[in-house]
Amino acid sequence: MEKFRVTFYPDNKAIEIEKDRTILSAAVSAGIYINSVCGGDGVCGRCRVRIRKGNAYIPADSILTPQERSENFCLACLATVQSDLEVEIPEQSRLDFTKSGEQVFTETEEVQAPPGEGLGKKFRHMPLARKVYLNLSKPDMEDNISDLERLYRHLDLEPYTGLSNIKQLGDLLRDAEWRVTATLADRDGITELMSIEAGDTTRRNYGVCFDIGTTTISGQLVDLNNSKVLGTKAAYNKQAAFGSDIISRIIHAQKQEGLPELHNIVVDAVNEIIRELVAQHHLDLNDLSVILFVGNTTMIHLLLEIDPSYIRKEPYVPTINFAPVIRASEIGIHIKPRGLLYCLPGVSSYVGADTTAGVLSTGLYRQKELGILIDIGTNGEIALGNDEFLVSAAASAGPAFEGSGVACGMRASSGAIQRVKIDPEKMNVAYETIGGAKPLGICGSGYIDALAEMLQCGIIDKSGKLKTADSRRARDGENGREFILVFKEQSGSGADIVITEADIENIKRAKAAIYSATSVLMRKVELTFKQIARIFIAGGFGTYLDIENAVKIGLLPDIERKKFSFVGNSALSGARQALVSGEALATAKDIARKMTYIELSTEQQYMDEYMAALFFPHTDLDKFPSVRFV
Amino acid sequence: MAEVILEKWQQAVSTVNIGATRADGGSRSHVVKVGGESTLPFLFSEGSLPNRPVIAFELCDIVPADWPQELASAYGAGFGDPLSWAQKCVKEYQAKILCLRLQGAHPDFGNKSAEEEAGLISALLKKVDVPLIILGCGDDAKDNLVLPAVCQAAKGERCLIGEAVQDNYKTLVASVLADGHNIIAQSPIDINIAKQLNILISDMGLALEKIVINPTIGALGYGLEYAYSIMERSRLAALAGDKTMACPFIAYVGQEAWRAKEARAEAGQGIIWEMLTATALIQAGADILVMRHPLAVEKANNYIEELMRTNGV
Repeated sequence: MEKFRVTFYPDNKAIEIEKDRTILSAAVSAGIYINSVCGGDGVCGRCRVRIRKGNAYIPADSILTPQERSENFCLACLATVQSDLEVEIPEQSRLDFTKSGEQVFTETEEVQAPPGEGLGKKFRHMPLARKVYLNLSKPDMEDNISDLERLYRHLDLEPYTGLSNIKQLGDLLRDAEWRVTATLADRDGITELMSIEAGDTTRRNYGVCFDIGTTTISGQLVDLNNSKVLGTKAAYNKQAAFGSDIISRIIHAQKQEGLPELHNIVVDAVNEIIRELVAQHHLDLNDLSVILFVGNTTMIHLLLEIDPSYIRKEPYVPTINFAPVIRASEIGIHIKPRGLLYCLPGVSSYVGADTTAGVLSTGLYRQKELGILIDIGTNGEIALGNDEFLVSAAASAGPAFEGSGVACGMRASSGAIQRVKIDPEKMNVAYETIGGAKPLGICGSGYIDALAEMLQCGIIDKSGKLKTADSRRARDGENGREFILVFKEQSGSGADIVITEADIENIKRAKAAIYSATSVLMRKVELTFKQIARIFIAGGFGTYLDIENAVKIGLLPDIERKKFSFVGNSALSGARQALVSGEALATAKDIARKMTYIELSTEQQYMDEYMAALFFPHTDLDKFPSVRFV
Repeated sequence: MAEVILEKWQQAVSTVNIGATRADGGSRSHVVKVGGESTLPFLFSEGSLPNRPVIAFELCDIVPADWPQELASAYGAGFGDPLSWAQKCVKEYQAKILCLRLQGAHPDFGNKSAEEEAGLISALLKKVDVPLIILGCGDDAKDNLVLPAVCQAAKGERCLIGEAVQDNYKTLVASVLADGHNIIAQSPIDINIAKQLNILISDMGLALEKIVINPTIGALGYGLEYAYSIMERSRLAALAGDKTMACPFIAYVGQEAWRAKEARAEAGQGIIWEMLTATALIQAGADILVMRHPLAVEKANNYIEELMRTNGV
């Protein structure tokens, strides 16, 4: 196969690639990530690049203007390499995580749920791996049982173990003068002797837990001896280069080499986060005995390199919900060589282990009173119930609340506008960014605030159309009317930060999907919002979410505000609990078994409710009695 | 005999007054009241229907291109001349209300100016003294020029002006509000959009009691049952207490029925098609039926008469 050299600017990175491959895959191979919301269908237009030199085959598309074509712009996902190329990647075509160059990881502050009744239980400390120091008596003619039996006798149990441990046992015990540390792990109810180390290493017993999200991968390092969190890191899920939602990932997985490609991306990201955490805390990979994952069902399939294609085919059945415990090395994850990998169980194709973990950490399953957990993500998940029953549903909300698929959207990271206030008379916009940096874009909580304020000030009407006559801030943009939130002079990107009518439409659909899934689920079990005692809101909103504004736009039901708790990444909290307590892990399994999944895509009610929710706050104003706009 | 269970409704449909008499500051001979039902259509045992459904004769400011000969013949020489056409409807067919469509303002059908159309309205108001329904040409940009002028020309006459749609309602609402008219809110066979549009309109300050819903209908064989079920759902919501849905319906029966292939197949069939469409929609709860053929109007009127007579029996 003929190969060509593709050089990307301004990175000045080059890669050799076969003829006829797309510029998008060349970029991924070069470690450069280009936006591709539609997953390479050539319809979202977010992957515009400019060819400086060379020959590419550029098929027709409906996105580029004649002007752009004449300036040699093309869509990276469609254009194929036909000669050596020099390609320029405009800033706006880059996936957020390569924008700032080096800053791939962000330390994230885990949002702590406010203390109060109904929160998760304190589980008994019984980590998935524990270390036992053994000072064995030397064998002699009287006491001549085998080395392994001697070990077991001291342990006072007969665990399962592997040949590789036994092969080195004789030398190890004698070299260590019979003083060794045994690492024992719980493997689906069976105790395994995972490893034997010379001397006393009991103090160095660590584990990591991960939440694999469609957009974000977060990992946490935990000291298994005392359950202390040592550090948390988050990175973008670079699978986004193959589509922003799970369906386009599944479709990509079915392409040639697609599954290993997606699998490798997530494994690489996990390994990278582990390396960073371990280095930061001066540990050794050998100190990590166990790793535990949560994530939506598709993400878990891709992590384990299991074909996810049946998830999107009727009757929407995943290959696994309860994954067995395996060795981390089986899928290429680097911790202790014989270290074990756990996944919390999922419920169904679209309600995964992240929801199980959220229910675990919020304690939804053990409250007497009724509660709801709403996880606002690309795939929104809703769990409802109490200590007697649990039901769940999923709603495809799209990535708008994660700052994707919207003109100036970005993830909740440094420079993202997360709070907005608009002065109704002067139309002055006050905002607050994460980290106090110059604004680069708007994250989910910023959009929620902005829309609520725009409604309140009469800048948009209840259908989301711009109605202000203010010509300073409202204008006709490339894709319809838009409102300038931050003028380019004040922005960190040098461009105006705008909210377009199309963005508002996207957010309206996202909030309608979440709200209607919640309310249909309620009706399925013949309950009303009034009967709900607690609502937990989880999601990647960073550290802030204005509940009042979320109600105003109709994302959350209009009930007493004190019933809401913003719990941040509840999935990661649940994962951590399971990592340090076998009791929590067993509870998670119970939760997943107990939870009934309700498929909404086949419910006519859901479609009706969704259509009725496509309004601010809702077509049925009686559902939002406290919301009044001037 | 099994006991009949009676439904108890929370609320009645609002009553919209079309036309202003001298006492109301206008020059009409009477007021047409529509709506006010406190029950599903003609279920007199569960509530009342204070106002019978009315039929408005549809006319055009030009010779309407898409009306078949059969309709043209029914109106004779006056066809296409709105003033004598209107007079014929009132004098000869006892029309109680007229519906004038300003098709001639459309850029493709004559492109008449706002001034011309406003002049026509002034002349028409002098010529006949029945209340008026006035419709734009359907081109949003042009309607936004013409309808404000028309509203102004008919100021104080409390006409019913249409149509507001979700993507173009602000100009019309503002004019209707300023000149004291009623408005038609059109939605594409969609109960949610009907409701949303009513909210958007009332948010601008026009009372819900000034809105008539055009739910969009289809003729017999062309989606009539969809229209029927949407009207039924809307009305159920209204009676159950939803204020934003409690508006009377207007249905363009003539327009839809005469579009049907069957209606044009042979003479007489169109009249039957229009009449059958009308009777079904009367049962669905239509309050104003805009119709074209005088004979179909007569038959539909007889039908309404018959239904209303059961009241109190």
